[in-house]
Amino acid sequence: MKKLIRTTAAITLSLGLAASLAACNRGETAADGASATLAVSTLNNPFFVDLRDGAQAEADALGMDLSVVDAQNDSATQANQLATAATNGSAGVIINAVDTETAEAGLAPVVKANLPIVAVDRAVGNTKVASFVASDNVAGGEQAAKALAESLKGKGKIIVLEGVPGASATNERGEGFTKGLKEFKDIEVVSKQTANFDRAEALDVVTNLMQSNPDAVGVLAMNDEMALGAIQALGDKAGKSVKVLGFDGTEDGFKAVKAGSMVATIAQNPAELGKQSVQMLSKAINGEDVEANAQVAVDTVDSKNIAEYSGK
Amino acid sequence: MSSVATAPKKGFDFKAFLANNGALVGLVILCLALFIATPRFLTGPNLLNIGIQVSTIAVMAFGMTFVIVAAGIDLSVGSVAALSAMGSSYAVTTSGLPDALAIPVGLAIGALSGWVTGAMSAYGKLPTFIASLAMLTVVRGLTLVISDGRPISTASSVSWLGDDLGPIPMPIIILVVSGLLAAFVLNRTVMGKNSFAVGGNTEAARLSGIPVKRVLVTVFVISGLFAALSGMILAGRLDSAQPTLASGYELDAIAAVVIGGASLSGGVGRISGTLIGALVLAVIRNGLNLLSVSAFWQQVVIGAVIAIAVGFDVLRRKNVKH
Amino acid sequence: MSNDALLVLDKVCKSFGPVQVIEDVTVEVYAGKVSVLLGENGAGKSTLIKMIAGVHEPDAGQILFKGQPVRIRDTKTSEALGIATIHQELNLVPSMTIAENITLGRVPRKFGIINRREMRKIARDALAKLELDLDVNTPVGELGLAQQQLVEIAKALSLDARVLILDEPTAALTTTEIEHLFRVVNQLKTQGVGMVFISHHLDEIAAIGDYVNVLRDGKFIATVPADTDENELVRLMVGRDIDAQFPRVATDVSGQPLLTVEHLSEGALKDISLQIRPGEVVALAGLMGAGRTELIRAIAGADKYASGTVKVSGKKLTSYDVAAATRAGIGHVPEDRKTQGLVLDASVAENIGYATMAATAKNGLVDRKGQKARAQKVAERLRIRMGSIDAPIRSLSGGNQQKAVFGRWFTAGAKVLLLDEPTRGVDVGAKVEIYELINEITASGGCVLMASSELPEVLGMSDRILVMSQGRIAGELSTKEATQDAIMALAISNVHREEEMGIK
Repeated sequence: MKKLIRTTAAITLSLGLAASLAACNRGETAADGASATLAVSTLNNPFFVDLRDGAQAEADALGMDLSVVDAQNDSATQANQLATAATNGSAGVIINAVDTETAEAGLAPVVKANLPIVAVDRAVGNTKVASFVASDNVAGGEQAAKALAESLKGKGKIIVLEGVPGASATNERGEGFTKGLKEFKDIEVVSKQTANFDRAEALDVVTNLMQSNPDAVGVLAMNDEMALGAIQALGDKAGKSVKVLGFDGTEDGFKAVKAGSMVATIAQNPAELGKQSVQMLSKAINGEDVEANAQVAVDTVDSKNIAEYSGK
Repeated sequence: MSSVATAPKKGFDFKAFLANNGALVGLVILCLALFIATPRFLTGPNLLNIGIQVSTIAVMAFGMTFVIVAAGIDLSVGSVAALSAMGSSYAVTTSGLPDALAIPVGLAIGALSGWVTGAMSAYGKLPTFIASLAMLTVVRGLTLVISDGRPISTASSVSWLGDDLGPIPMPIIILVVSGLLAAFVLNRTVMGKNSFAVGGNTEAARLSGIPVKRVLVTVFVISGLFAALSGMILAGRLDSAQPTLASGYELDAIAAVVIGGASLSGGVGRISGTLIGALVLAVIRNGLNLLSVSAFWQQVVIGAVIAIAVGFDVLRRKNVKH
Repeated sequence: MSNDALLVLDKVCKSFGPVQVIEDVTVEVYAGKVSVLLGENGAGKSTLIKMIAGVHEPDAGQILFKGQPVRIRDTKTSEALGIATIHQELNLVPSMTIAENITLGRVPRKFGIINRREMRKIARDALAKLELDLDVNTPVGELGLAQQQLVEIAKALSLDARVLILDEPTAALTTTEIEHLFRVVNQLKTQGVGMVFISHHLDEIAAIGDYVNVLRDGKFIATVPADTDENELVRLMVGRDIDAQFPRVATDVSGQPLLTVEHLSEGALKDISLQIRPGEVVALAGLMGAGRTELIRAIAGADKYASGTVKVSGKKLTSYDVAAATRAGIGHVPEDRKTQGLVLDASVAENIGYATMAATAKNGLVDRKGQKARAQKVAERLRIRMGSIDAPIRSLSGGNQQKAVFGRWFTAGAKVLLLDEPTRGVDVGAKVEIYELINEITASGGCVLMASSELPEVLGMSDRILVMSQGRIAGELSTKEATQDAIMALAISNVHREEEMGIK
């Protein structure tokens, strides 16, 4: 009996010690600034690389320990990463969802762990988030369409390059395009084809479409990559007899605007998205008020204001 | 042979012709249909476009033909194309190598990747499917590491691969030259003939003194070289090496080889067939674009064509065996 | 032609492309009689069977069933007429029970549920007809090959088969199993089943057949009684007299040994030593699993060996290196030509040329003209019957395919030929031609090591016999003095003596 008591006491003591040690550990990181997880849909795309860089820079400035995980565009991978984030001591999660619909299920463990969530760039279904940091794709699409139409002086035949069929960006930008083109009655969309947001694919698609529509004078692309593929396909005609418009404001996109082959691109400013999402999460962790919908400015970048963007 | 009495051919055996040249017949029908459907199809510039567009897949598929003839499969070619394009340009633009070395560097990367895949399956006894699947991921990962996920501009010698030489686009010249070279190596060299023997019956080849393992490694090196060339053509056309370049192209390359009449069980395959297979795919894509067919239907059509082409393959094998 | 025939193939013809494989052949099947189909490989037996089974339809001529002309369009029609074929490769599902296999595809049902009681009854009835005493709940995979074959016959009978085609049913059976099969066949005769029997073993014909239809090169030759003299049957089948079944011409055995094996050990092989001199044919006899194939493969460089040496003309070979063995003058005709010997998709010329392709190449380029000329020459010398040298090897008969494998080593100038079951699946005529090739090798100063399971062949074609047992050489016999009994006695001996293996 005596022995039993002694054993129990020893176990209790050691358990208690372990627990307090663990608590100390946690306290130490918290003192330096919270640790957090940024779950990115993919790093195969410069846009998200910029987003990560913006987030990382802000986290460094705030002394936040940000661990970045890449789901490689796979919802299941992201779900696993989120489950890990819920238990590895992160004080909050920034999610750039692979897929709006499936993100809800993936986030369940994080919600259960009662950690603040910031969604960036893409919505996360009905999950309650501290903040949704995004640029408005519909507004951007509208701006893009207008910019192209204006450069064509309001008339002519144009080709629309669509993104991955069914992706939310494709749908939203497409909606914006339609809205933006509504007031230009003399602009005719002669062909809508997908190039899956891919430069090489756009090169082939536009080459082919210029065969069937040699009188097209504009290309409206849903991202810069496809716009750059189109420029490659058009060769000397790009920027002269055929105007090309991009979207996203990537480095290569800015270069093309500067060179005059691209009329304009819609700069989404991914670094700013990353930066603001870290700021929102930091506030949420510290219990401060957070904007539920942080809108990051979307700018039309053309030859007039390109100097402010390129080279940065 | 004096003892042989070959019966005279009784007229034209249409069924046999169809079975042996299914892909060619398919291509002709396809072209006829497009010719009727749109006046834009059969024009000089459009045919030149098809030539350029087919070059990437066809060159990649030439290399793949060697592997498939040797009863293997190479899933890594798309990734190898990307790494070679990226590596060749990186070596010049970032590491400061002379511009002239860009293409050799790219080819070396392709050969080395192929060697690793081949060695894994020949000496490590991994099935080629698994070895090349592993390389697909590894090589794509390395491409992302080098590029940090961003496109980089190509070295000017690589860009030259996407330009024109006089009136003829370089990709078409490369396509023709590399096709002739591949056909020559496959049909005239000991190495090429050995791949047929290894693919047709590995054990019989081994017992005849053919160095089976070396043959297996060599076909993968060849596949890597052609993939590298293909990747650099694509980057040259884009003037940009992209981390996601040519992803998924391995499936198109395999489809081209199979449509061209090669058998996935090995021992059978022709470079001319592979070219026709690649043309079938390119013509379909081009035609569907010209006709503004929706992206969803394009996938349906391409899948159906692959199934029909392989159906011909089955029919042919049945005819042979009776 | 009599009217009471159950099934008649009346003057049928069939061509595949330009090749006429069956020309004007008539075969009759009578109730209660066994009709033997005799012919060399490629004579058209299997095409005939496929016509009866509904795989091929004749181009000309007709098929009469009980006197009525019928068209057998597909296997279903054939089945409906009560025709069943028992192939060499059995059509059973190993994981399913006897009862399930017998009722496969027509499972008895009651209220939509499988009626197991009825199923077992059908199976038991079927087995009873053959006087087979087997538990119908046994999975077929647990039965021996012979019993599986009988189950397949039972399955056919339970489908009310009136015509049974037995395609080389005895090929894989032991003597006792063959006896059992013949008892079953005799019983089926009394039940009025008409049978077509195919076999390469002439001695079985008299034992089981009623009459023999002889085919040669797709043509009908003769119908003779089953008790016709064997030599006469061979003459009809081959189309010429075969002087001797084993035409071994002994040559002077002289000079230094060509092949020397010393203390070779590896897994199943234990300390093998042997020597073969120029002009000598040494047979390797022994039971299945005695290590004959393993020894041949080790010498050929096809498999690794742990210790010991192999020398050709006194020069040591590296282990596990086929190319080195080939260069030293070894030629290996493997056990199974289809899976180990030939590339079936390739042409005759290519198959003959594999061993010489690299050696004759210039700057890595294949000497295409030379390779073809050499192949053509050797094909003529070995009398390989083929469409052309560029024909796919697949289109040749088994014997001619085997000759092409020999041709590969003739072209390569091999001095030491390692033969593993050289005449397996080869018909009588081609067998003799292969034996003549063996004579030719020894006459030109080469030597042969021949593993064979057929004792008549061992006794007929060798100068010396090494008998293997459990991975060792159990003893050596001079062919002149050897008998089948003496060989068998050594083959089953359990040898532990390490000394006196092979020759000094």
